[in-house]
Amino acid sequence: MLTTVAQAVVNGLLIGGIYALVSIGVTLIFGVVKIVNFAQGEFVMIGMYISYFLASSFGIDPLVSLIVVMPALFVIGVLLQHLLIRRVLALGDMPQIFLTFALSLLVVNVALLLFTANYRTVQAPYSETAIHLGAINLPVAKLIAFVVAMTLSAVLWVFLHATDLGKAMRAAAQNRDVAMLMGINPDRVFSVAVGVALALAGAAGALLMPFYPAYPLVGQVFVLMAFVAVVLGTLGNVTGALIASLMMGVAESLGIQFVGADSGLIVVFVMLLLTLALRPSGLFGGRSR
Amino acid sequence: MQKWIVYNLVNNAYESSTGPIDDPASTANVIGCAGVTASNGGENDDREVKMATTRMATIPRRHARRDFLKKSASVAAVAAFGTARKAFAAEPVNIGGLYPVTGSFAQIGQGCVNAAKLAVQMVNDAGGIKSLGGAPLNLIVSDVQSDTTVTRTETDRLISGYKLSAIHGCFASALTLIASEVAERAKMPLLTGSSSDQLNKDRHYTFTPFCRASQFALAQLQMSKLVSDAPKVAVIFENTAFGTSTSNGLREQAPGQGVEIVMFEPYSAGLTDASPLINKVKASGANMLFPVSYLNDLILIIRAIKQNSLQIAINGGSGGFVIPDFYKNVGAVAEGLLGVAHWNHDVNADAQKVNAVYKQQHGEFLFEYAGGLVAQTFMIADALERAASVDPQKVRDALSTLDVSSGYAAMGPGGRVKFGPDGKNIYAHPVGVQWQHADLAAVFPKEDARAPIVKA
Repeated sequence: MLTTVAQAVVNGLLIGGIYALVSIGVTLIFGVVKIVNFAQGEFVMIGMYISYFLASSFGIDPLVSLIVVMPALFVIGVLLQHLLIRRVLALGDMPQIFLTFALSLLVVNVALLLFTANYRTVQAPYSETAIHLGAINLPVAKLIAFVVAMTLSAVLWVFLHATDLGKAMRAAAQNRDVAMLMGINPDRVFSVAVGVALALAGAAGALLMPFYPAYPLVGQVFVLMAFVAVVLGTLGNVTGALIASLMMGVAESLGIQFVGADSGLIVVFVMLLLTLALRPSGLFGGRSR
Repeated sequence: MQKWIVYNLVNNAYESSTGPIDDPASTANVIGCAGVTASNGGENDDREVKMATTRMATIPRRHARRDFLKKSASVAAVAAFGTARKAFAAEPVNIGGLYPVTGSFAQIGQGCVNAAKLAVQMVNDAGGIKSLGGAPLNLIVSDVQSDTTVTRTETDRLISGYKLSAIHGCFASALTLIASEVAERAKMPLLTGSSSDQLNKDRHYTFTPFCRASQFALAQLQMSKLVSDAPKVAVIFENTAFGTSTSNGLREQAPGQGVEIVMFEPYSAGLTDASPLINKVKASGANMLFPVSYLNDLILIIRAIKQNSLQIAINGGSGGFVIPDFYKNVGAVAEGLLGVAHWNHDVNADAQKVNAVYKQQHGEFLFEYAGGLVAQTFMIADALERAASVDPQKVRDALSTLDVSSGYAAMGPGGRVKFGPDGKNIYAHPVGVQWQHADLAAVFPKEDARAPIVKA
């Protein structure tokens, strides 16, 4: 029994790491640019396909492909900010929602056209192996994904707290107008924020590839969890999104174990409802960290 | 889009008026289909089905085609008048094929279309329908886009737009149920490999030559006793119609077969992670797993079992489990996994012959549904032969008295086709299959087994 619970918690934490990469991206864009990116899941999908084609055409391991996927998605992010998001920033909520939602539809449908609806998987040498810690199984592919996800989150934290650009981003997140008065160039800050967010989504895609099939609609599986995590962890709060993602992974896993396999998400949504009722601004209410 | 459809109809009329249909590309005409094409890229570019993709992709191609048509029309006209008449004196017989060539079932639907084209070519190469003066079959494929609403309109359009003698389709039971309703109202005979038992209720024009969903469950339970003396089964199923109906069949018949079900667990399709579910299976103490799942979840489940070092026999049922794509995605881990099917490519010599041709054309084995519909095409040809008429009512009557036990029409498990009053083939039964050496081998029951069952 204890083993079963421990294994359930481990499983939850491991998948929570992936949720975290997606949700940190969403919360970063919201915090800095003040726009909800509904297309975030689609960039996970793009990351998966880049990783898949590098693996199938050139035999590059999905983990190695991170060094291609992340810069590629960063560039896409900068272009996205520069060419599209910038134009709707002054227009209010509706055009912003329509923009990212339309982008999501467009990317999914272009992917269906280019890649077909077929599932594509990569067989890495470690795809099916596991490390045994006593009676606990640690699947290698997921463990690597978790460790890399946590490392990237830590790097982002250091970037936000120790570099000028990072501090400028947090300043813009706290109060855009005052930040601009202090001489912060919002275009540059926003571009970097969107770029970093997309790079994280791409990283999630590449990390998923050794154990998850790629298909055009795959992003929507993860983006739902990401949005819940972002709200739970307080909109715009990077650390909050990380902790909430891990909590949700564990809650989902325990829910499947002890409530029912079709109720895992119910546990997560009950958590969300309770949080919204008791602490409307999220678990880490008010403060941006 | 309007223009495109008109173009297609013209193109179709052009092809059928020229008569001789000797190249496989021209034996199928796809009508309809606006919107997103999910199947038209990459590896399958060689398929000859004509389809509109998105508006963006269509426009340049449409112009290219139009130019091509203009230039080649005069040449073709000369050729048509010169040689066409003597190849086939009789008018071609139109039969409809309803398959999801785009959308989530696109991969399987495309395989079905390939097989349907092959079958028509085989009938025509053998001299067409002799009682109709050697009339060739003309397959008209319609894309039902993996969508129930589209299936309804496309079935209607196919029946009202063409002079058809019979239809086959649509792979997914949910789609076939709709097509069968429409065909019933139009009094158009429909043959299908879909396994839903509902297709045999209150229908007079629907014929199901292969085993029913309820028979699959029994075969799965019987097979579990071949791999374990005391099977303790965990059933995990996706919680919509497909999963619940199949799993209920298993639960109802398990006690009668002396099989103990130790876990019976619905889950929501589209898993983010299968590990928690597999952790639960592990805790249940089961030694046999029946996942009733779609392909994406199945991939995660099989991998999670390996990752969690769980030793358990698996019977994945039918559908997505018995297509070449499953092995492509799961790899060597699939070896030894069991499944059930209404047809397999090794059940008899005729099936193996068709499989060899299909494999040569498309590089992978002829899967369950596609192989079954090759047999269906020959059943339609047999009925047309006896009816000596293209009238759908007469074809329907000839199908109801069909009784074949040799040739391509009878190349399924059971080896004989004769329909009961409910349209069910009374000789049909499922075949148990196992993944062995990257191929699917028939292992159950004894009379259909072509390879011994390998215990994990």
